[in-house]
Amino acid sequence: MARVDQTVSAAQDQEIRVKLVITDAKGRVSEREMLMLQKGGDRRMVKFLAPPEHKGIAFLSLPGGLTYVYLPAYRQSRRIASHVRNQKFAGTDFTYEDMEARRYSGEWEAKLLGEENGRYRLELTPKAGTVTDYGRLLVEVTTDSFYPVRIEFFDKGNQLRKVMVQEKLEKIGAYWVAREAEMKDLQAGTSSKMYFLEVKFDQGLADEFFTERYLAR
Amino acid sequence: MTKLTVLIFRKRYLVIGLVILVTLFFGLSLRKLKINPDVLSYFPKKDPAVQLFTALGEEYGGNALAMIVLISEDVFNQATIATVHELTARFQLDPGVSTVTSLTNTVDIKTDEYGFEIGRLINAASLPTEGELAELKPYVLGKEMFRGALVAADASAALIICRLQNSTDQVATCRRLKTIVEEVGPAEKVYYGGLPFLILDLADLIGADLKILIPLVSLVIILFLAFAFQSWEGVFLPLLAVGISLLWTLGLMSLLGIPLSIVSNVIPVVLVAVGSAYSIHVVSKFMEVGAGREQHSRAPADLAGTLSEVGTPVLLSALTTMAGFLSFIFGSYLVMIREFGIFTAVGVLFALLIALTLVPVLLTLRKKQSNRTDRRSVRGRNRERSIAVRFIDLLERLVLMRPKTVAGVGIFLALLGLAGIPQLSRRVDLIEYFQPDAGIRQAEAVLADKFGGSGLIQILVKGDLQDPEVLREMEKLEGFLLAQEDIHQTQSVVSLLKELNKAMGEGRVLPDTREKVINLWFLLEGEEIMGQLVNSDRTEAVIQARMASSLEAKRVYQLVTAIDDYIAGVDAELVIFRQTGMPLIYRNLDRSIIQSQFQSLILAVVLVFLAMLYLLGSLTGALIGLIPIGFTLVVLFGFMGFSRIPLDIATVLVAGVSIGIGIDYSIHFLGRYRQEMAKQPSRQAAVQTTLHTSGQAILINVLTVALGFLVLVFSQLVPLQRFGVLVAVTMLSSGFGALLLLPAILLLAGGRLNLRPQGAEETRRTAGRAGGAFKAEKGGIIKNERRGMNGKTESIARFLPGRTVPPGLARSSPGRERTDGGGNHGAG
Repeated sequence: MARVDQTVSAAQDQEIRVKLVITDAKGRVSEREMLMLQKGGDRRMVKFLAPPEHKGIAFLSLPGGLTYVYLPAYRQSRRIASHVRNQKFAGTDFTYEDMEARRYSGEWEAKLLGEENGRYRLELTPKAGTVTDYGRLLVEVTTDSFYPVRIEFFDKGNQLRKVMVQEKLEKIGAYWVAREAEMKDLQAGTSSKMYFLEVKFDQGLADEFFTERYLAR
Repeated sequence: MTKLTVLIFRKRYLVIGLVILVTLFFGLSLRKLKINPDVLSYFPKKDPAVQLFTALGEEYGGNALAMIVLISEDVFNQATIATVHELTARFQLDPGVSTVTSLTNTVDIKTDEYGFEIGRLINAASLPTEGELAELKPYVLGKEMFRGALVAADASAALIICRLQNSTDQVATCRRLKTIVEEVGPAEKVYYGGLPFLILDLADLIGADLKILIPLVSLVIILFLAFAFQSWEGVFLPLLAVGISLLWTLGLMSLLGIPLSIVSNVIPVVLVAVGSAYSIHVVSKFMEVGAGREQHSRAPADLAGTLSEVGTPVLLSALTTMAGFLSFIFGSYLVMIREFGIFTAVGVLFALLIALTLVPVLLTLRKKQSNRTDRRSVRGRNRERSIAVRFIDLLERLVLMRPKTVAGVGIFLALLGLAGIPQLSRRVDLIEYFQPDAGIRQAEAVLADKFGGSGLIQILVKGDLQDPEVLREMEKLEGFLLAQEDIHQTQSVVSLLKELNKAMGEGRVLPDTREKVINLWFLLEGEEIMGQLVNSDRTEAVIQARMASSLEAKRVYQLVTAIDDYIAGVDAELVIFRQTGMPLIYRNLDRSIIQSQFQSLILAVVLVFLAMLYLLGSLTGALIGLIPIGFTLVVLFGFMGFSRIPLDIATVLVAGVSIGIGIDYSIHFLGRYRQEMAKQPSRQAAVQTTLHTSGQAILINVLTVALGFLVLVFSQLVPLQRFGVLVAVTMLSSGFGALLLLPAILLLAGGRLNLRPQGAEETRRTAGRAGGAFKAEKGGIIKNERRGMNGKTESIARFLPGRTVPPGLARSSPGRERTDGGGNHGAG
């Protein structure tokens, strides 16, 4: 799992333009676009670009669980508590927990179940003290790049709740990245798919991008 | 008919074989019979309120709220909060549960000087310490989102609300929820309330009811039959017939996939009480014929003749009873009442069929009765007759000596009844189904006391929910709802938006611009609670209001009508509100109960009138025949008024059922009276004879049916208890109407009433010529019976009128066979 962590969060910083397609239980589709800036494992800025009514809304996560939100209509930013990991992120099927820069090895106990079609099958159970909504994860990792391509999320009653699939693996520069990631909520019948439109790594993003002041810009 | 009956006796074994086959067939399918206590499933799909209710349930995560209340001195202690958390977490995992809301997972918007937090009121990952709880308590009780919604205002109770999936078996889900609570084993006292738990309890009660009531009503009938017939076949055959017809009816329901409802579970009791009568008449007729002849002819033709004689009146009686039940098909709002009407009528038809085929076949298969049995039965009969006869004597004296007093008492009772009618109340809510000490009633009382009740009013909002104007209209409507006396709690997205606006530093009011609203919507996106409050396009929302679930129908009516009136006054260009929820559906049910009461009454009265007209051929006679029915109805509704028994889904059936059964009394009495008028010298004599023949039969019938239905008092379901009491009351009052009031009026009306049949002169002459012996015998019976020392009668059928009519005489009058037999079959 340590190798997976390495693969997924290898870059120093990244700038990604993401298109988000949300499908509700009735099959109705809505789209969003956002810019994600990330530096290190714990500083992240998300800014919505589209649709027009959400343009300008921005989130900033800083070390120590500090999160700020900026609402353009109020011209104000407010700190919001981020300890609530099991809440859905911006109406998607990804929770804040899912969206976090994942470091599995520290919080999860992994067990190799087998190898098949160029993928390792791993079972992850939370280590003592890990705060999570999930009881168990089944992860498939590519054998060559150690990229997680499929994760099945089981709740604490051991029922399969969500499935995430990461597709279109690409090597950009020195890093592997999945161009598409889809999360399906099996109970709600909804799904959210992220398309990583532009991915830039290691541009040396300045620290000032990750400040409350920059939120309003 | 004769051809058919001959065939029945020719092919005895075929009849027996067929009945066994059909019974096996239905008996095997019986295993699939289900109980469906879910009242909602019986509401008509075409009612817009029901449609909207279903649509909202599917759209917004189910509208069946299972409510679990934990009682504690102060719920803000670690143990109770831990229990609430554990239960919440475990309920959430149940596949039948859509969402769970409780103190430990509810969304909260906390504001402080730095910012705000949209999160959980209590962080489930690290439950608060006692110290933190002490701080939390005033915070929670200060917020209207929680106070009285998830925690009682005095902190003495915590509420966990489970929204159940609309499409799943909610009874099974509720059972699992209870099991979870038992496994967790909380120290707090737990109450289970809300519609799903109520329906679960109903399901259990229906099952328990069937196990108690069927044996009980059977026992009552067995005792009565044993008393009346003093022979094994007299007890066994009617019971067998009823058992078979019951099996067929339930088997048919099961085959058609129609489950037993909270109304149709009474079918077995009704069938045993009503359906046994037909076999009783057949048995008594054959016993009487068999006993009357030394060498009883076993030739199919002779047997068929006997069967035809008794068959016609039994048929007529069954048909009127069926018509009474079928009257529920028309205009009944609840599908389950229609089903009850249809399948009780079908059951009556089956009972009739068995009574006219299997019963006579079995009767004539066995050898002649032993002398010992005969003697015993005679002894028993004498004893019984003396009671019955003494009672009839009393009635006769009353009618003959004091007709004015009788009529006066009748008028007094009718006036008393009329005075009680304005006090008639109506109840439509299901909580009324339970005994006062039932757990669910206590739970509902706790819910009403601490959480404003479990009744759910839902209002669909259609409009642009990003428009502050629309939101303000919602706010106003909620204000209006809260101003109503019985509504204590509302929930909508308005309070969340106000909280967030405050968090953004603009105070606890709705945002003033569209842009702000849109920003706030974004923040709330993905919150689980949003799925219960608003659609994803922001074009529809739901306002929910909780109210006490056990209000009287009138109050519910006022409330929902007031809300509808308010809604009608809102600018429809801006926003459209539509009301639904159980209270509105209850109002529609209430309206329909009144409507179907009228319809089934009118239908029944028209039916009585037509039957009378056909039987008597006289308009005046037919109108007089309506008197006992009218009297019964006035007494029934007056009794309900005075005894505070409300009209509800079960008691609304009483009028129809009583008329369907009670109609026979008037028919038999007048039919016999008219016939006697052709033979007797005076009105008094005719009344006397009628009382001692048809009258006795009616008396016995009244008592059996009344006793049979009184068994329902032992039901666990309150409306069924009331149903039983009311049918018993109406049986007694229609008995009074037919046995006292009717003859008194006939006597008082004097010569103005001409009920002599056409061709009466001829009939009398025929009677004089061919039936001298008959007349003498008749007089003898009356005398002897009055002295209570007639020793030469041979069977129970002695009480039953018409058996002494020579065949020749029977054919001389067109109405003879019918009226005669009519009296006969009344004896059941």
